[in-house]
Amino acid sequence: MLIKIAWRNVWRNKRRSFITIVAIFIAVFLAIILRSLQLGMYDNMINNVVGSYTGYIQLHSKGYWEDKTIDNAFEFDQATLLNIQKIDGIASILKRVQTGALSSYKDLSKFVYINGIELDKEQRLTDWNKRLIDGKLLTNDSKSIIVAKGIAKYFNLKIGDTLIFIGQGYHGMQAVGAYPVEGVIDMKNPSLNNYSVFMNLQTAQDFVSAYNLITNLIVDKEQYFDENKIVEEIKSNINTQYNDVMTWKEMTPELDQLIEADSAGGILIIMILYMIVSFGIFGTVLMMTQERFYEFGVLISIGMKKSKLIITLIIETIFLSFIGIMSGVIASTPIINYYHYNPLTLFGAGAEQLEAAGFEPIIPMMNTYDIALAHSLIIFCISIIICIYPIFIIWRLQPIKAMKR
Amino acid sequence: MNVIETKKLSKFYKQADQDVKALNNVSIKFQKGEFTAIVGPSGSGKTTFLNSIGGLDSPSSGKVFIESNEITKLNSNQLIDFRLKNIGFVFQSYNLIPVLTAKENVEFIMLMQGIVKSERNKRSIELLDSVGMKEQLNRRPNQLSGGQQQRVAVARALASKPKFVLADEPTANLDSSSTSNLLDIMNKLNKEENMTFIFSTHDQRVIERANRIITLEDGKILSDVNVK
Repeated sequence: MLIKIAWRNVWRNKRRSFITIVAIFIAVFLAIILRSLQLGMYDNMINNVVGSYTGYIQLHSKGYWEDKTIDNAFEFDQATLLNIQKIDGIASILKRVQTGALSSYKDLSKFVYINGIELDKEQRLTDWNKRLIDGKLLTNDSKSIIVAKGIAKYFNLKIGDTLIFIGQGYHGMQAVGAYPVEGVIDMKNPSLNNYSVFMNLQTAQDFVSAYNLITNLIVDKEQYFDENKIVEEIKSNINTQYNDVMTWKEMTPELDQLIEADSAGGILIIMILYMIVSFGIFGTVLMMTQERFYEFGVLISIGMKKSKLIITLIIETIFLSFIGIMSGVIASTPIINYYHYNPLTLFGAGAEQLEAAGFEPIIPMMNTYDIALAHSLIIFCISIIICIYPIFIIWRLQPIKAMKR
Repeated sequence: MNVIETKKLSKFYKQADQDVKALNNVSIKFQKGEFTAIVGPSGSGKTTFLNSIGGLDSPSSGKVFIESNEITKLNSNQLIDFRLKNIGFVFQSYNLIPVLTAKENVEFIMLMQGIVKSERNKRSIELLDSVGMKEQLNRRPNQLSGGQQQRVAVARALASKPKFVLADEPTANLDSSSTSNLLDIMNKLNKEENMTFIFSTHDQRVIERANRIITLEDGKILSDVNVK
């Protein structure tokens, strides 16, 4: 019956309850939309830079990240690789040899970063098909290269032209080679476009005389899976005395910091929204308490325990919040799903700015349930905290005084 | 057998820098089955007396015993429980729970007592039938007249099978027909179920029905008369 009383009390003053529910609805709806938009944008930025190139997690030999030379290459045994592949949340693992070299064509030269890659696996990470803007992709036995569009532009390269590389090989060997250009790709990132050259893993190992060695083991994860959890599991499978495991946040701290700073702004807006809605709920609870002070006095007089009266009021507040929260979640879900699969496309200056920073000018909404869950819980907790006021009032209530008011 | 006994019950409070003696050394006993009217001018201490014996107000000094249990020793939570199990209240302005129907209002007290649903249902219908409200079981207070609401309040007061019913000016807001009707019902319950009723009232019609009339003035008992 307490639930029945609480439910009917909610509708005693329909207009007031409606206004409160609408306030909660707007707060939840805007918070979810805003956060999905923000997190979707960050996820896209991360995918652009991390998912398509560095990977979410990398494994190197100890000290490689501080001193990225081919001398820090290492051999990774197949058994450990198979063990790591079994870890939950890992989508794929790919080997790379990465080394710097001086490239030259005709009378021009330029520093480039050579990436020896596993073609099939790399395709899954980087979607090469979509990024190829000229020529064709490499095959497993090709001894040619793909260059990023910045390099092609710098040297004015055409498909079939040959680039010469001079660099440092493994343990003092000289690395020299001439490789024809088979394709040009757009890395969607100005920095990567200016320095990236791709060749077969085997070809790269031959180039630097690092046979069967790699410099990086890239671990790609399932979407929204916690990379820290994966790192912990990888660490338990390897000898951390010889190898480092790093997340993308450690490898590209500037991107992480950019996201953190931007995210803080969004959270501030949501906090303001919460503050407004908190006062809205508090106003309702305050009125609900004050205008029924006499009634509380009567109920306690006839034998209703204060604890039961408090429970009734808490249930009333929960009803109000729950209706508002659920409407907010239900209204935001189709919008989020639509813009997740059909991202917002930016035009003009905004788009140019994002592109210049190396990101695609699109904003997909993130459609994970935990955004709605988190914001629903926050509003719910706010409602429960607000209930402290009537709890305090009822706990101190003296029936005679209440009925004299 | 004494249902209620007060010993040197006093209640003082300050009002505009003046000490007011709402009750002054009131010692009195009430027997089972009495139909008592407490009368007196405004400010004579009628409501304070009812509140004190009902455990709603704590006296400044003195003791209140309900069937030899001293309720003035109980803390506020124990008093709530005591009221629920022992005392029925009828208020001047009915004070039904506005969101509950007549039947639910009566059931509510039994629910607080932890009585099972089937018994609550049966007893609430019986009680409302006894106060002539069987046809209005599912109406909410705002769909009932003042007299009907007060009859539901009487049924609610009896729902917990109390030792006595305290009624603070129960007819003050009723017309003469509703008053007569309500008094008939309470008279009937008093005679048939030996229920003890104690009223505070100014209403001559209530006083005429009482079998004991206690007159209070300035917080003291001026007279205590057994009428019938």
